Amino acid sequence: MRGLEHRFHALGGPCRFRVECDDEPAALAAIASAEAEVARLEARYSRYREDSLTSVINRAAGGGEPVAIDAETAGLFHFAHTLWEQSGGLFDLTSGVLRRAWDFRSGRVPAQRELEGLLPLVGWDRVQWDPESVYLPVPGMELDFGGCGKEYAVDAAAAVLAGHGMNHALVDLAGDMAVTGPRADGSAWQVGIRDPADPQRAAARVELRAGALASSGNYERCIELDGRRYGHILDPRSGWPVAGLVAASVAAPQCLVAGGAATVALLKPRDEGRTWLAELGLPWLTWDRDLHCAGSIAPAHA
Amino acid sequence: MAGPTRERSATLLALTSSALMLPACQGARADAQPETTTLSLGYSKYREDDTRDSKTFGGSSERYDIDVAQFHLLAPVGEDWSLALDVQWEDMSGASPWFVGESASGDPKVIMSGASIEDTRTDISVTTRYYYDRGNAGFNYARSEEDDYESDAIAVDGSFNSADGLTTWSGAVSLSRDDIEPTRGTVPTNTLKDEKDIYSAWVGVSRIVSRRAILRFGLGYTYREGFLTDPYKLRDRRPRQRREWVASTGYRHFFTAPNAALHVDYRYFDDDWGVRSHTVDIAWHQNLGARTQLVPFARFYSQDAADFFANVVDLADRYHVDDYRLSAFGALSAGLRLRQDLGQWTLNVTAERYRSREHYGLYDGEESPALVAWWRGSVGLSYRFR
Repeated sequence: MRGLEHRFHALGGPCRFRVECDDEPAALAAIASAEAEVARLEARYSRYREDSLTSVINRAAGGGEPVAIDAETAGLFHFAHTLWEQSGGLFDLTSGVLRRAWDFRSGRVPAQRELEGLLPLVGWDRVQWDPESVYLPVPGMELDFGGCGKEYAVDAAAAVLAGHGMNHALVDLAGDMAVTGPRADGSAWQVGIRDPADPQRAAARVELRAGALASSGNYERCIELDGRRYGHILDPRSGWPVAGLVAASVAAPQCLVAGGAATVALLKPRDEGRTWLAELGLPWLTWDRDLHCAGSIAPAHA
Repeated sequence: MAGPTRERSATLLALTSSALMLPACQGARADAQPETTTLSLGYSKYREDDTRDSKTFGGSSERYDIDVAQFHLLAPVGEDWSLALDVQWEDMSGASPWFVGESASGDPKVIMSGASIEDTRTDISVTTRYYYDRGNAGFNYARSEEDDYESDAIAVDGSFNSADGLTTWSGAVSLSRDDIEPTRGTVPTNTLKDEKDIYSAWVGVSRIVSRRAILRFGLGYTYREGFLTDPYKLRDRRPRQRREWVASTGYRHFFTAPNAALHVDYRYFDDDWGVRSHTVDIAWHQNLGARTQLVPFARFYSQDAADFFANVVDLADRYHVDDYRLSAFGALSAGLRLRQDLGQWTLNVTAERYRSREHYGLYDGEESPALVAWWRGSVGLSYRFR
């Protein structure tokens, strides 16, 4: 059985596909299609691309004209809306605009009035959308698929590989993963969860035979304030960084669901974040600010 | 990563069902076939207390002792199917109430079938199940054989989830054909050879009402036709038809702080023999860490007597029965179940005690001297292949 590994760079990070298949030309064709699918989604939803649908929607904010959307985008809005509802408004596709006030590279803490000036631009409930169009009613409002776009791309790439008959394949887009089935010998894929204390090291190993594993981290970029470290994840209600969990990993049948669950866990206060994951009933692992780890996935022994 | 059975979270269902609207996310099925093969073996011991001497006329006061061995295999087949095979062997020994007579003092006393009855029963059941995006459907064939009894049954069931994943409708129909040929030995029998047919249908709906609570309702109907009389009881003559209705409801609530779930179920039964009954089940599913679950449970049962029940029957009546199972009585049972995950192995241990008396129940009637009390203990071990 041939095992192929394909590495590439997309969505701001390192990506890889692993495919186990005897028919190498078919595997290579599947890999090419799956990479093209990731590139298509990046071109469509990246806020860094002038010609992306996201940029078109954002430029039309407050202009009076809704922007037409397709079924896939409406599906993502529907998911984001459900997550917004279920998280009590913590997960919000419009919260990215708050980054204008926070510069995590310089470590400068914004004045409260800067944040107050941006908060009227935040609020998924203000977005007017239906299955065919979307409109941001206030000039300056922005959508950002950062909280679910990469996870959706993982599901989409896995679906393309599966559609090519690759039933023993792993998709890993910068740490968010899905498999199309077990490995060719029937065994599970062994995937690591990165240790926030030492990102080179795996803190836990998860066996994936089906489904996905997504991770969210709030430790990479931080600001020190009054002796407290704040991560780069911002509360859409106050505009301030949240001070809950620093990392969460969740396994689910869909990477979109796993990633949404992990992101919301980080947006909540520490204990509420863990309760949220425990109640979902999905396998999970989290670290708090003291790097104490808790969850239903057993951490690896050092 | 498998923990104890968790309550399905409504939040998770909402997220999953909205993710499934995206074609790329549909690869993972909401209603998935089992991923791995599971093999289970179980053993149970059921032991009825001896009938108190004050309630019997001579004969043996020793009652039933049943040993049960169970085998269960559940395996995925292809992409969308599963196959389950269940085999159960029962070995019964002891005596059963033959008839109730009146003592000199006027008290009803039970006369037990003299010599100990030995019987073995083998049940085999095969279920194939098909999993589709919004539910699953099963077909079941079951055969049961005893020395004096053979039964063949088929059943079809299906379930369907609503688009939001919060509501599940389900239904089932079944029919069985039973052949009865009593063993002639120590007691005369009420027939040499006869048969009965059973038809039943059931519909149910369950709804996730909050992030931690599930509510369900069900309605069932069963029609029995044929030889419904107990072949071995001396004074037993029952109608050849019986129509039964059942309504049931259940509620499950998960409590975060104790990491436990409360299950409460109620069932109402009514039939055209005049039997009505109420059953209340309460269980507390306490998770202790990720691998251990302890379940204390209790049941209250109360039934009204059949119209033609009497302890000392009048044989001139067209229908008559002195079987304690058709008398007015109440029953209380309680037990404790332990479930322990040991990697690919799961251990289940249960102990249960049951007592029945006329005055435990809600309905007044003559207390049958043959009412039972029993102990049951079971142990099961299952293995999940990877």
